[in-house]
Amino acid sequence: MITEDQAKEQAAQAGAGPAGAEPPLVSGHAYDGIQEYDNPLPGWWVWTFVVTIVFSALYLPYYHLGEGQLVADEYAQDLALHQELEAKRALESGEVSEQVLAALAADAGTVAKGAAMFQTNCALCHGAGGEGKIGPNLTDGFWIHGGTLLDIHRVIEKGVPEKGMVPWGPQLGAEAVKQLTAFVAGELMGKDRPGPLGPQGDPVGGAAAGVERAGQ
Amino acid sequence: MSTPLDRFTYDDETPRRFLAATLFWGVVGMVVGLLAALQLAHPWFNLGVEWLSFGRIRPVHTNAVIFAFAGNAFFTGCYYSIQRLLKARLFSDGLSAFHFWGWQAIIVGAAVTFPLGITQSREYAELEWPLDIAVAVVWVAFAVNVFGTIARRRERHIYVAIWFYIASIITVALLHIFNNLAVPAGLWRSYSIYAGVQDAFMQWWYGHNAVAFFLTTPFLGLMYYFLPKAAERPVFSYRLSILHFWTLVFIYIWAGPHHLHYTALPEWASTLGMLFSVMLWMPSWGGMINGLLTLRGAWHKVAQDPVLKFFVVAITFYGMSTFEGPLLSIKKVNALSHYTDWTIAHVHGGALGWVGFMTYGMAYWLMPRLFQTKVWSPRLVELHFWGGTIGILLYIVAIYAAGLTQGLMWLAVDAGGRLLYPDFVETVTRLAPMYWVRVVGGSLYVAGAIACLVNLVMTWRGRPASYEAPEHEAPPLAADYVDPPPPPSRLREQGAQVLGLAYSIEAFARASWHRRWERLPVTFTVMTTLAVVVASLLEIVPTFLVRTNVPTIASVKPYTPLELVGRSIYISEGCYTCHSQMVRPILAETLRYGEYSKAGEFIYDHPFQWGSRRIGPDLHRVGGKYPHLWHVEHMRDPQGFVQGSIMPSYAHMYEKSVDFSQAAADVRAMTTLGIDYADVPDPAEHARGQAGRIAAEIERQGGPGGLADKQIVALIAYLQRLGTDLKATTGTARPAATAQDGRAAGQAGGPAGAPVGAAEGGGR
Repeated sequence: MITEDQAKEQAAQAGAGPAGAEPPLVSGHAYDGIQEYDNPLPGWWVWTFVVTIVFSALYLPYYHLGEGQLVADEYAQDLALHQELEAKRALESGEVSEQVLAALAADAGTVAKGAAMFQTNCALCHGAGGEGKIGPNLTDGFWIHGGTLLDIHRVIEKGVPEKGMVPWGPQLGAEAVKQLTAFVAGELMGKDRPGPLGPQGDPVGGAAAGVERAGQ
Repeated sequence: MSTPLDRFTYDDETPRRFLAATLFWGVVGMVVGLLAALQLAHPWFNLGVEWLSFGRIRPVHTNAVIFAFAGNAFFTGCYYSIQRLLKARLFSDGLSAFHFWGWQAIIVGAAVTFPLGITQSREYAELEWPLDIAVAVVWVAFAVNVFGTIARRRERHIYVAIWFYIASIITVALLHIFNNLAVPAGLWRSYSIYAGVQDAFMQWWYGHNAVAFFLTTPFLGLMYYFLPKAAERPVFSYRLSILHFWTLVFIYIWAGPHHLHYTALPEWASTLGMLFSVMLWMPSWGGMINGLLTLRGAWHKVAQDPVLKFFVVAITFYGMSTFEGPLLSIKKVNALSHYTDWTIAHVHGGALGWVGFMTYGMAYWLMPRLFQTKVWSPRLVELHFWGGTIGILLYIVAIYAAGLTQGLMWLAVDAGGRLLYPDFVETVTRLAPMYWVRVVGGSLYVAGAIACLVNLVMTWRGRPASYEAPEHEAPPLAADYVDPPPPPSRLREQGAQVLGLAYSIEAFARASWHRRWERLPVTFTVMTTLAVVVASLLEIVPTFLVRTNVPTIASVKPYTPLELVGRSIYISEGCYTCHSQMVRPILAETLRYGEYSKAGEFIYDHPFQWGSRRIGPDLHRVGGKYPHLWHVEHMRDPQGFVQGSIMPSYAHMYEKSVDFSQAAADVRAMTTLGIDYADVPDPAEHARGQAGRIAAEIERQGGPGGLADKQIVALIAYLQRLGTDLKATTGTARPAATAQDGRAAGQAGGPAGAPVGAAEGGGR
């Protein structure tokens, strides 16, 4: 009963070449000429493997039953901190008034930021120059929802969903809404660019007043 | 023992065909990948053609490179090597031909159906049910062919390469069948029998292990044959082969949930996915060590032999990817990397480096042997190697940078707790330069693939008039084999004073038992199957049975018939390739999108559409965020609306009519899945009604008229519903279509979602 394995072993020995620093071959292994060394497992491999297993065995109970903080708990903690911060800010500088907005409209940097955002978010409906397209003309003296800076700020922030105007406040944040208001007041109001829609809403003196204030 | 010798020849025609198919489909799949890369660099490359938009092209690319390129490569090498390793001709010439033509036909089917929008929209399992059945049939033919060849072998023991082939064949069959169980709603549409969290779990059990058992174990098998053959060196360590094979097979299958960190998947599953990925590191590296150390004493050949050069780069990338995999599966790392290009870079290191270069090395080794002539142009091989290597590096370095950039921008919050980049598009436009670098790297790699195909064709043209088919001879296996006695115990030789247990451990460690399994392929296959099935069930059973995994939310109701139709359009367009529907419980994320997603919100989602990449923003809370008109305008001309957007235009949705009778088929499928639609006696009529109301609303907002029967309205119905049920207050059995419309127009998602939802039961 030795023929098969012995024959292979002899073949393997013959192919092994001069024995020297060569590690031992596994006897009897030759597949289409492929042989295998009987090398031991590398020590670092074994120990790294063991460490990952031990780590996992410890981590699972630590994380789920012990000190570990689950994702949802960690989020709840982050959220509480965030809300605290928001409340503090509202107390300190949450004021949005005609004066604040007018001051912003006078600031070139703020208007420029508003201009960039206007091109990305508003131009499709209101036209690149604010002359109106799907949405109303913002450069003539007619305003549908009121023409004070606070009115404009409110419309940008809360939107007019039933008419297709997006509430931008939740998406862009309070600061962006102020910057957009500043752009509308500082750059568009009173420019009187001809648009496709014609005047809509009521003529409002506040428009010109806004520009004047912004110009100071 | 002087039995007469068997005389036999090998079937090399089958590997020849498969090799040609491999290289051909490789070029096709990679060219489509290049097109997709161009589309991300600039949306102009969507070419305004609905069949070529990114969402439809991306599955063509992934399926082509995985199943056509890598699949055919596996079949090539498997069929070539098993005959020689087993000293037997392939079991059946008929089955070989059926396998070859059947598989190519399925690939053609995929290449036609995906651009037409026929897809399940579950990653790497996009094929619709008729093609899925074809895959199963052809795969069984492959299995019978391989196991039949094993049964007729003249080599007593099966070599490590074949262990890996067996594991691949068995596991891919299991994954394919159990992930693709679906209820058809027509010839080319079906809905997964699983929903939401469970569908996500099954899909990533499949998706992850498709990487394991379609792209890793088959190619390890190929490595174990072609590397020692090319290097003419013995394999480094037989014992390492045994240990890394079994640990790899058993551990890999658990790791799927690491694709779902921070999602609504229960957290215990997520943690298991992470830990098993960490434990998978060394078993994966066992293959790398056995590969690279096999080259000990042959490194001087590597400098000269392009085949070995390809193999060395391949194995290096294998080592890199299998280190990076465990790294990315650590939750905190994943919070940054998930949904970004980091994942894309990771898979391309594995795909272009490991799978691609193993395949090309094997191809150049096989060409002279299969075509019995010299390789046409060794110079072109050399160019392919360098072009490909530089191409991979350019690709992954650019895309790692893109992934890190976008991930950090999404999470960036200023000292006051506000998002630094609230405009999503800003995080997209920033990536454009890196996307162009990817195009350059990808082009280099594709050029190499084309060079290889040219070399194949030219080598084939130089073939002899007729191939030699040398006759081999070997004795048949004797029936009365007795295993050799186990090697003498070293402990006993040394006279060590130890417990009996130590002798048992020593005997186990010396693996004579394993040597016995190697000559018992049935036992071997059963043990492999057990390893895979037991590991799978340990995760699957609790996922399906533990009720607290998916806490019920009373306000979550089934979709209306029109929303179902809209959802099928979303699926058909492949929206999941760019948009996730899963807001993670991370502050920067809820600031951007709103309340994070809860498991209970997805119970009617057959299939789930959580996605894996955010090329565009998450859509789970998009419902009610914009007026209908915004969607109408945006889908038609995304660039006009959002400067720098790379979204394709969906102008065809304004032309194509909705087939309202589809609503009935969809509702029927959902009813089969156990969802109650008793109060909707006429789904088509119900859908028509809701569509009419939405179209009227669009007109009221100043939009175009005449959209009531167009696809865009159905899609808007679905989008406006997304994520709104969580805060819905209607206590009716089903939110009426009207209630939906009203809500859609009136509700704006708050940026800093409410505190942890009352409906959330936690992930424990």
